[in-house]
Amino acid sequence: MKNNIKVQRAIHDLTQADLAEKIGVSRQTINAMEKNKYVPSTLLALKIARLFKKPVEEIFILEDED
Amino acid sequence: MMKYLLSNKFKKPGWVLLVVGITFGIIHALNDFESDLLTVKVISLFHNDIIFSKNNGLVSIIEDSIVDEILTLMIITGGLLVGFSKEKIEDEFISKIRLSSLKWAILINYGILLFATLFFYHTNFMSIMIYNMFTPLIIFIVRFNYIVYKKTGHEE
Repeated sequence: MKNNIKVQRAIHDLTQADLAEKIGVSRQTINAMEKNKYVPSTLLALKIARLFKKPVEEIFILEDED
Repeated sequence: MMKYLLSNKFKKPGWVLLVVGITFGIIHALNDFESDLLTVKVISLFHNDIIFSKNNGLVSIIEDSIVDEILTLMIITGGLLVGFSKEKIEDEFISKIRLSSLKWAILINYGILLFATLFFYHTNFMSIMIYNMFTPLIIFIVRFNYIVYKKTGHEE
């Protein structure tokens, strides 16, 4: 699974730390997700989508190997 | 959601206990675990001394230097506080690192123990057993903190 959190973050002019604070997770989690090293839980994915006011599928995208 | 974890405020005292315990533990080990300091009466269960058998019994009172006991308690308590206190922000990714670090620690520890069982004998093996009381916790703490530190990342 890939995601465009980094792009969304740029659009909303948020740093990793800002985003982490807004959704109540650690900086490490944002960093790992942006590097595709961590697949978030459904709960966290929904929270991120809600913050960026987008459907989840527009931020998190399945890849062929998934 | 996270259970069996202490509040973050236990982490600092944990580090103090752990570092002081390990420091004095190393000094104690360099002195071959010999010390007459703090010799007090202690309760000994199932005491079974081959040479001085007058105190043998189910529950006995014996005299012992409790330096090693104190150091063991400090290292284990400190290690547990450090390893099982929440991070400032304890979220799902941190829990994942915590669990994978525990898995690592158990695997490495038993790997070392298997090796030691095959290639270390007598007092050498006894020393390995002493270190083995602490290595699962210490490997866990080192690996967990290393990954958390590494994943802090830098803004790009």
